[in-house]
Amino acid sequence: MKSRIILFVAFLVMLTGNLRTQSLFENASDVSDTDKLVIDFNGYGRGSAYGGSENYDYSSVFAEFGIQGELSLNKAFLFTDLRFRAGTQFDSLYARFQLKETYAGYQSDKIDIYFGAKIVSWGRMDGFNPTDNITPYDYFFLSADPDDQKLPNMLLQTKWYITPNIDFELVLIPIYRPSIYRYDLFDLGEYTSFTNPTLPERTFNNGSVGAKLNFNLAKAGFSISYFQGFDPYYGFNLYDISWDGFVPSIELSSQPYKKNTIGTDFSVPLSSWIIRGEVAYNMTNNYTENMYIPNPGIEYVAGVEHQFWGITTILQYIGQYTLDFTPLDDQPDIGNPNEMIMSELTAFNRKIFNQQEKTNHAFSLSLSRSFAYETLSIEAIGYYNLTSEEWLVRPKLNWKITDHLETGIGGFYSTGPDESIFSYASKVLNGAFIELRVSF
Amino acid sequence: MKSITLLMLIFTMYHIPVLYSQDAKEISEKSMELTRVDAMEMISTLTIMDAKGNERVRQTTTASKKFGETTKIITKFIAPADVKGTGLLVYDYKNKDDDMWIYLPALRKTRRIVSSEKGKSFMGSEFTNADMSAPKLDDYEYKLLGTDTYEGKECWQIESTPINDQIADDMGFSKKVSWVDKESYFTYKNVFYDFDGEIFKEILLSDYEEIDDGKYMVRKMEAINLQNDRKSVMTIDRLQKGSELTENSFTPAALEK
Repeated sequence: MKSRIILFVAFLVMLTGNLRTQSLFENASDVSDTDKLVIDFNGYGRGSAYGGSENYDYSSVFAEFGIQGELSLNKAFLFTDLRFRAGTQFDSLYARFQLKETYAGYQSDKIDIYFGAKIVSWGRMDGFNPTDNITPYDYFFLSADPDDQKLPNMLLQTKWYITPNIDFELVLIPIYRPSIYRYDLFDLGEYTSFTNPTLPERTFNNGSVGAKLNFNLAKAGFSISYFQGFDPYYGFNLYDISWDGFVPSIELSSQPYKKNTIGTDFSVPLSSWIIRGEVAYNMTNNYTENMYIPNPGIEYVAGVEHQFWGITTILQYIGQYTLDFTPLDDQPDIGNPNEMIMSELTAFNRKIFNQQEKTNHAFSLSLSRSFAYETLSIEAIGYYNLTSEEWLVRPKLNWKITDHLETGIGGFYSTGPDESIFSYASKVLNGAFIELRVSF
Repeated sequence: MKSITLLMLIFTMYHIPVLYSQDAKEISEKSMELTRVDAMEMISTLTIMDAKGNERVRQTTTASKKFGETTKIITKFIAPADVKGTGLLVYDYKNKDDDMWIYLPALRKTRRIVSSEKGKSFMGSEFTNADMSAPKLDDYEYKLLGTDTYEGKECWQIESTPINDQIADDMGFSKKVSWVDKESYFTYKNVFYDFDGEIFKEILLSDYEEIDDGKYMVRKMEAINLQNDRKSVMTIDRLQKGSELTENSFTPAALEK
């Protein structure tokens, strides 16, 4: 990792320069003097309620004040998105300050540099991005806005614009940040509990790095990417097991794992259609000895977008091929309870990673349309996993009452066979939501 | 949703079929060249009014520049807060469909889009996406209807009709009649007919400004829906002739900055 940093610094020194010229477009708030400090603020307040699941009447109810500000001086700038939120989440009261994003930046014609807490989204597909191993999510932050679930990483990001249509992006994440999925809220049986997560040591060697060569050509856009580091989407390991007579007490701990990923994605317009695809080849080690590490495999998403009668329709196929797959013994030795537990836990991790079978097949469908001069919009997202037979649907209606006032209302429903992830999740995540937001 | 720039830049060409001879097609082509702008930057405001007088206001910043045979236009919304940061990039070609990308802050990524449904409302206004598409000369038949006076100026009345039903469906009108100044060749008024042959919309253009030698831009446009009394006004608040931006500022990656 040290050598990576030195190379990276040398790379930056080599590429800085190429000042931007005075421009009305780039200095819309003040054209007269590009060396003047420009301060720009926006903000919002909102009330949000999400509830009605089997286990929680009020899954997430909160009031929030957010402010986004940017201070810029010529090519250098500071951006911040701060949020203060108070409410209840799964029966716990809280009042919390969140640094959604805060980073310093430098932008020029040839190179951009960002350093701080930032959200970086990779991948050209919608909602299913196997090449994106960078962004952690809080899957249990329930609201009307899916962007609320995205979490920032502390990172250093740079983009080098090789030509107007080709850029190279490098992302260094020195400190691992896992996603949040509250499996402790699931009813996994009275003998199972979750202890504190196991996190990698904060050393140079445990940092993550991502690199992407991106092409945005008129006829097609595509990229080739590489990631090495800890996946924000972790597995679970057996932390401790004890016996009280014949009754076990099983403690699980979340356990991140390292992976290497080579990825590619593309987007091609064909008349009034858009064809998209994204593929990732994930390489992992020691997966046979460690249940929390998924097998190596190939994840692939293919999609098509078209407008039918004004309805924007996006249909996607989401697949996975698991390498070195070995079926689990479905009849472990009942005389060996430890083996039975390990088998159950291995099966649980395979469900998380969609590696229950050698191949996994799923589809998603997104429909959206706006009405009344774009003041009213309706969308519905559906997902069905043919392999696991899990499915979900999320309809939503959004009404822009004025330029500064809008409301959203909708619902989420998921289900699946007994002991499937969706089956567990449905008792916590299913419900309806409503939000009222004023922005300024 | 497409760019205000196209509306400002290409609208002018679209609605100014210059008449030098009896060959309307040739005249229109010359007109387009006359009004084609190689480079500019501007800040503009779109005000949308419903029948009750309630207003919604959109403000954008736009840059346009020609690289080779392609005019590249980038537009970013700067107000109101709920759409601020949204960006649109258009590669405008003379004889084929535009290439377009959109950046939506909520998605945090740039997406490729296609130019279908040109007859749909642009940004919730009375302008349509078709109004902002580069006119393809071969898509219309032109006819001189006669002469008329508009605000004291003697004008030709030119009828433009899509050459087939598909183009008419895409554009959202069956025909259009334009009032073109005989002296300056400025177009001051366009009247649009629906598929029942009824007038449903008119667009008024004013405040022509010469931004280069023989090149003009319209600084104010009004679209009035005669069927529901809605009205939209687009004005250029600040205009910069030419642009020193490089081609790197007209890329999908630049939308995210």
